[in-house]
Amino acid sequence: MSSTNNPAPKWLFPLVLSFIIIILAAVIPRFLPPYTIISLNDIFMYIVLTVSWAVFSGPTRYISLASAAFFGIGIYVSAVLGNVLPFLAAIALGGLASFLLALLVGLSSLRLRGMYFTIFTFGLSELIRHSVLWWEVNITRTVGRLVVSVDNITVYYAMLTIVLLTLAMAYFIKNSKYGLALLAIGESEEATDHIGVNVNALKILAFAMSAVFMGAAGATMATRWTYIDPSIAFNPLFSFMPVLMAIFGGVHRIYGQIIGATALTLLADMLLTKFPYYYNLLYGIILVAVILFLPQGLAGLRERMSKWRKHVLVK
Amino acid sequence: MSGMIKQLRVVFILLAVLVVAFPLTGYCKDKILIGTAISLSGPYAPGAGMTQIPNYKMWVEEVNAKGGIYVKEYGKRLPVELIIYDDKSDIGTAVKLVEKLVLEDKVDLLLPPWGTAMHFAVGPVANKYGYPLIGPTISSEKLRKVAHKIPYFFGILNMPREQGAALVDLLVEFGIKKVALIYVADAYGIEWTAEVSPALKAKGIKAVIEQSYPLGAKDLSPLLKKIKAANVDALLGMSYPPDTFLITAQSMGLKLNPKLFYLGVGVAFPVYRDKFGAKAVEGVMGAGAWNPKLPYPGAKEYYDRHVKKWNKEPDRWGSAFAYASLQILEQAIEKTGTLDRKKLRDVIATETFPTVIGPVKFEGGFNIQAPGEIGQWQNGEFEVVAGKPKRTAKPIYPKPAWP
Amino acid sequence: MGGTLLLDIIIGGLILGGLYALIAVGLGLQYGVARVLNVSHGEFIMLGAFATYSLYTSFGINPLVSLVISGPIVFGLGFLIHRTLFQHLRKSSESMAAFEGTSILASFGLLFIIQNIALLSWGSDIKGYTYLAGTVDFGGAIYAQNRLLAFLFAIIIGLAFYFFLARTRFGKAIRAAAQDVDTAQLMGVNIHRMLGLCFGLGALMAALAGCLISMMFEITPLMGLPYSIIAIIAVVLGGLGNILGSLLGGLILGLVGNIVMYIHPGLSLIAYYMIFLLLILVRPTGILGK
Repeated sequence: MSSTNNPAPKWLFPLVLSFIIIILAAVIPRFLPPYTIISLNDIFMYIVLTVSWAVFSGPTRYISLASAAFFGIGIYVSAVLGNVLPFLAAIALGGLASFLLALLVGLSSLRLRGMYFTIFTFGLSELIRHSVLWWEVNITRTVGRLVVSVDNITVYYAMLTIVLLTLAMAYFIKNSKYGLALLAIGESEEATDHIGVNVNALKILAFAMSAVFMGAAGATMATRWTYIDPSIAFNPLFSFMPVLMAIFGGVHRIYGQIIGATALTLLADMLLTKFPYYYNLLYGIILVAVILFLPQGLAGLRERMSKWRKHVLVK
Repeated sequence: MSGMIKQLRVVFILLAVLVVAFPLTGYCKDKILIGTAISLSGPYAPGAGMTQIPNYKMWVEEVNAKGGIYVKEYGKRLPVELIIYDDKSDIGTAVKLVEKLVLEDKVDLLLPPWGTAMHFAVGPVANKYGYPLIGPTISSEKLRKVAHKIPYFFGILNMPREQGAALVDLLVEFGIKKVALIYVADAYGIEWTAEVSPALKAKGIKAVIEQSYPLGAKDLSPLLKKIKAANVDALLGMSYPPDTFLITAQSMGLKLNPKLFYLGVGVAFPVYRDKFGAKAVEGVMGAGAWNPKLPYPGAKEYYDRHVKKWNKEPDRWGSAFAYASLQILEQAIEKTGTLDRKKLRDVIATETFPTVIGPVKFEGGFNIQAPGEIGQWQNGEFEVVAGKPKRTAKPIYPKPAWP
Repeated sequence: MGGTLLLDIIIGGLILGGLYALIAVGLGLQYGVARVLNVSHGEFIMLGAFATYSLYTSFGINPLVSLVISGPIVFGLGFLIHRTLFQHLRKSSESMAAFEGTSILASFGLLFIIQNIALLSWGSDIKGYTYLAGTVDFGGAIYAQNRLLAFLFAIIIGLAFYFFLARTRFGKAIRAAAQDVDTAQLMGVNIHRMLGLCFGLGALMAALAGCLISMMFEITPLMGLPYSIIAIIAVVLGGLGNILGSLLGGLILGLVGNIVMYIHPGLSLIAYYMIFLLLILVRPTGILGK
């Protein structure tokens, strides 16, 4: 493949970049004001959700609305087991629970295509939410749980680790033969099947992998929220936001997804505090404006710029 | 040459900024900065927009009209500035914005968000940073289990234990033997049922139907038809506003006329009376009770000011509690003469404060003064009918049939 | 008793189902034909509801009359939104799949914008009025007049629309476009104008539904999204691109909702979603899908 021809730019760049990020991130909390760290935690959370979502949904074009279920399962693991398990174990278990749930969702939705898949995943998330609620109402008879809280710096390191793992996973899948196969599925599932790819196994596995870090992030963030109930944990917003952020930034590039998640989180933060009464209005206008002028998301900006530059040069 | 001029200009501007900015920072305290992250959008916004935000704004205006709150340690009245952020009805956002208020905006005091879940989330955070918080819209027995861990948090609203007991006392007073108990499948419904159901049994009152229903139900007539067929003396609904409205409308349609008709949150809202008409809701009972006829100083005046300022009546439950929590904060500052939050917390925890809901006193973080537990619409006013000593009117029983 | 009860539950379900069908047909036009998964559909319902509420409480205008006033306005609004926003997006998106993505994002934007404007104009308070709250008795089964009226209107509007689709030239063009936009274009349909009209019609249906909803339930500017979700589920259940399917999907949702609510209120939402998921699994392209 082409990577054998010039391996340097393809591997070296991300390696150096991630190295720099790790160094920076490990040192940064000492010098940052505490609220900036809290803000970063939120950005990390949305990056994990968005990039994870795009690992499967980006190349295959199966728009999943099950993120809230995967994230929420992690939250519940943390809420139920947070006071008996160490923090790290709760995070790992959150990821595992999410992985298993995603296997189940993937398995049951194999036959579905396009919008039917999308709404099926949405319905399944709602089913899970109502089932957990039913369980809490009728079995434990307590809706709403207090979560053992963990200090912000610990949460920061946990989230940072999860972000880096998510990015690494996304990067390796994207640049492996599996990534290519997923792209092929997005183009034509039948054709991919014909060239000897086990489409079903690949779809399910990619879907489950994409859920792992969502669950881990849920288990981590729950400790910041201190109180959760089924409608908080399985808020459909966590299904919609990754889709919005990925499209906003650019679905097909990992840096686009990161930019989308970061930009929309920062934007919300700024608008909620500076213009609390016009928050939704301005947020909506910006969404519409960006998608009107950059139908490929913010990542499309670069292509636009280079096109424009060429245009100017030619003149 | 021009480069040097540019550099000089930058230096000059920086100096100017420093000169102008320096006196503004730090040492001269010229206002009390109060912050709140509350729901301006999302599902909690209707509650917040009715019960808390109007009272927050009105109180700030009133205080500032007096020239502010007198703080002895500064030897003068300090006006209040209120920062409001929108938490989008999202717990994660609420927690984060409260930390922003504390860490970035460095507010002197915090005001609580709206709703039980939000209080549970924000209470521990405020406690962590040592900010006293008096929560006017949390009603939960679970709070008792954690109250000792969050000494800076105070619950001022009625809790299910007292309200449930008052409701059962009413049933006993009227000699009711057979009831239907329905509850919304959420924390509120469950906690109420956990209080009321055993209390009914203890008094020999039979709940022939005990059934939960989902939040957001659009048609409860099948359930109400069952209740009608069971021919009960009382319908007890531990409901949230959307279902409170739905159950009322559908009971009217089905002519479901038990002698006692009780629903949860929402009955005390003026819009409940206005939507169905004062005549139709005559005799309907609901959770919480406050009205301007109560003999507490300032109650009537508060009601009038609210109507004048907002052109709408305050709701007959949480609104007055929200306003009272602000009065307590103001009195605590005046009493201690400081904005030291530890001292404020200690005063709030120990002293008694006259307010529009009566003399509030916290014991173990819970307010022991309630203007009333259960109310009943009579002639367009939400009269206190339980606990018995607090009554502003004799309860109407049996409830007149729907018109 | 058994017979009455069954009838009772079915009629109750159909009443709600009729309303859902109206909403779903509206979204069906926007998604099935114009390919816009309009998440802000519920906001148009909210606008219809508030227009009715305001006209009734401020000017005493009969809620049914306000249908005639607010309907065309919302229709125009929907048409304009499509002509300016979605048409542009459709042209600039590189593929239909890309357009579906960008149009979801844009409709979320619309949702936020409309909701915020409504909050600023009407406040967040719960509002409501009483209109035709009396009841009708069908041999023991009792229904609220306003619910029956809503059902009646939903049926009339649904039927009128069905004949419009089946009989008129424009209706046929819509159906052709729902099947295959390119072919319809080749056959001489002015596609952008038609898609704009479809979007406007969808908004109109939403406004009509909002008017009917305001008679039955209390309203707030935040009421829209749950209705959008019901509509999306109904459209998918019925089969994408099939208007009759949307209608059927709405009716089924209402009916199933009422039946499970009767059997066991506590389990109703679980049963509701299970039935929906099973139906999708059994018919992976919707009930009336190809």
